[in-house]
Amino acid sequence: MKRLFLLMLIGCFVVSGGLITLGQDTETVTITVRCRAKPPMEDWRGNNFILAAEGLNADLEAAGDPRRVEVVIIQDNIDWGPYVTEFVLSYGAGEEPDIWLTGHEYIGVQAEAGRIIALDELMKEFPGFNNVIDSLWESTSYKGEIWGVPQDAEARPLYFNKALLGELGWTANEIAALPNNIEKGEFTLNDMLTVAKEAVDEGVVADGNGFWMRPSNGPDFTALYYAFGGETIDVATGKLVFNEVAGLKYYQFFYDAAQIYGSMGGLGLGWGDAWHPGVSGSKVLFWVGGTWQWAEWAELFLKDLGGEAYMWETFGIALIPAAEQGGQPNSLTHPMAYLISSQCEDPDLALALIDKVTDYGPNTRHAIASTHLGILNGQTEYKFYKDSRLLSETLYMLDYTTFLPNNPYWGPYSTITYEALAAVVGDDFTPQEAVEFVVDGLQRELGDDVIIR
Amino acid sequence: MRGQLAPYMFLSPTLILVTLFFFIPLVMVFILSFTKLDMTNFGILEWWKPVNWSLDNYVKIFTNRFLSRILGNTIMYVAVTLALFNVGMALVIALITTHIKRRTGFAFRTLWFLPRITPVVVYTMMWRALAGPAPMGLINKYFLVPLGIGGGEYLLHTHPWVFIFLVNGFIGASFGMILFASAIESIPKDYTIASKVDGATTWQTIRYVELPMIKWPLLFVTTYQTLSLLTSFEQIMLLTDGGPGLYQTEVWSLTAYHRALTSYFGNTQWGYGAAWSVVLVIIGIVMAVIYLRVFKFGELVEEPKIDQL
Repeated sequence: MKRLFLLMLIGCFVVSGGLITLGQDTETVTITVRCRAKPPMEDWRGNNFILAAEGLNADLEAAGDPRRVEVVIIQDNIDWGPYVTEFVLSYGAGEEPDIWLTGHEYIGVQAEAGRIIALDELMKEFPGFNNVIDSLWESTSYKGEIWGVPQDAEARPLYFNKALLGELGWTANEIAALPNNIEKGEFTLNDMLTVAKEAVDEGVVADGNGFWMRPSNGPDFTALYYAFGGETIDVATGKLVFNEVAGLKYYQFFYDAAQIYGSMGGLGLGWGDAWHPGVSGSKVLFWVGGTWQWAEWAELFLKDLGGEAYMWETFGIALIPAAEQGGQPNSLTHPMAYLISSQCEDPDLALALIDKVTDYGPNTRHAIASTHLGILNGQTEYKFYKDSRLLSETLYMLDYTTFLPNNPYWGPYSTITYEALAAVVGDDFTPQEAVEFVVDGLQRELGDDVIIR
Repeated sequence: MRGQLAPYMFLSPTLILVTLFFFIPLVMVFILSFTKLDMTNFGILEWWKPVNWSLDNYVKIFTNRFLSRILGNTIMYVAVTLALFNVGMALVIALITTHIKRRTGFAFRTLWFLPRITPVVVYTMMWRALAGPAPMGLINKYFLVPLGIGGGEYLLHTHPWVFIFLVNGFIGASFGMILFASAIESIPKDYTIASKVDGATTWQTIRYVELPMIKWPLLFVTTYQTLSLLTSFEQIMLLTDGGPGLYQTEVWSLTAYHRALTSYFGNTQWGYGAAWSVVLVIIGIVMAVIYLRVFKFGELVEEPKIDQL
């Protein structure tokens, strides 16, 4: 009896000693993840990390690493400008997130300021990253190093309203052939404006609603500048470029669209109260949008009418047409990327978490819910990815895609070129005046950091 | 000694607060306006060193192609809102509600206070809902479309200024209304009774008795509301954000905000934005001095020459 009691006592000591040792040896590391995500479609951008943390903690335990990860997720749908300001100011105060999801074009400025770390060395220990499509790494590279892990991609296509084209007298076959004609360069941007004008003249759409772009500054406009032969970056020097000839054609297009062809009436509208209701409510014939908006319309605007089923009947998707007959149509991809703060104390753990979410399961969850394109090689063959019709039908657009440049001065460049565009649409500038305004503004703001051709 | 210190001790909390939250930020904004501090060089540029100061931001402002439009918008916004609502309508409401039954007048004034006590975002969003395109916009749905006026357009897109005046004016009117009403009510009844006895009409009583006696509140409201409108932008930002076209409804203070704190691609220019706000401060001071001269402020606050008691 005495022996048994002694054994039990020893057992208790061993167990409690072990627990104390275990308690002392594990160290909880908090990793803050900040994502911009439109609820509910894009919630997986952050929520995937909750599942990733469980997996990582199991890995750490198995490897005998005393650290355990606790993930704090902050995600909402604030505008990009305040979102970037928040990161920069919180970095200054030492309270920035460890993992920051943002558009790839912000990498240049943050890398220059030393707020994020280059990932090349750390990434060698995570072979899973080899699955990411090669061209996407270009968008997160700056000065020869990789600064971010691609999170998603998308196409920015031309949408058209099949029902309105039908009202205009187009046959079902003609409507069905439109994406193909655009891909072959047979249906150009000016052809599109001509049809838009017809629709306005015949009262199919209101004046101004023939063709819309997004209502405020953003990446989409650059795709049309590229379509007219514009360049944004000089490969040799990495400096920003503005082409005067292409710029003149680009501004002439928007001037004509607004002043002659009954289009561009969507500029300046609010997104939620007028722009989305306008395009999803069949008030606009042609518009350039993003594939992710498909999920927004289905979920937030057209659920009552049947969501996606109604949309497949009513809307068509094509590339952005070429500027000239036989030319190359295009689209623009603006990959999101996870960046790691240079003040993060455990960057290896942050990257390990990113590695976990950069996998077929988690990434496909996000791709399907938000109608973004996948980022992994062979993802189109993944069982659950294949089920999304939109993702399958727009995949070919990646062959025609373009990117924004990764340059610290892209912000001012974009603001100036957009102001000139808004001015030609509002009839404040002629196309020539717009080009002069851009050249003058860019030289004044950026000096030697921009090349005018 | 202790007796001499006591007043300063009582003043010190205010002094500390004003220094911390007004004077120091003002000096910082003034210094920032001479620098190129922005998102790209934050934490790198030593903006406090005079070697990094220049007048470039001010040159940029005064050579801006859209300066005249922004200035014109600002003058129009302040002048129209002030004349029609903040002083004009405020005076009309004050006069009407003081010439009807006291309790009814009080009830109407309380109603006019609703726009001011409603949170600005909620209040402005209500207006956005009113102005929305058909069939969502209430004005279109229940008034314009049934009457066959317009094609159900987005009213903030077709008539942005009308809504900016209304939204700001309905808030602004309540401030003057309260001051004018209390000033009118404090006019000794003897004066109005005497004017009635002399055969004055209501309009004549208002014009020759009441208005001259509320000159001081009129000056105060005009000056205060001019300065307030010059610096207010939140309603415009929430309604049109300076649009729908390029700078169509952009006022000076909104430009300062846009330059310093917003930009789609995050290229906020704190130095440049600060310069816009410094110019606004100077405009405000000049306006205040002009008002005080025109309304002869000195005479208004003089000791009365005849003891009215």
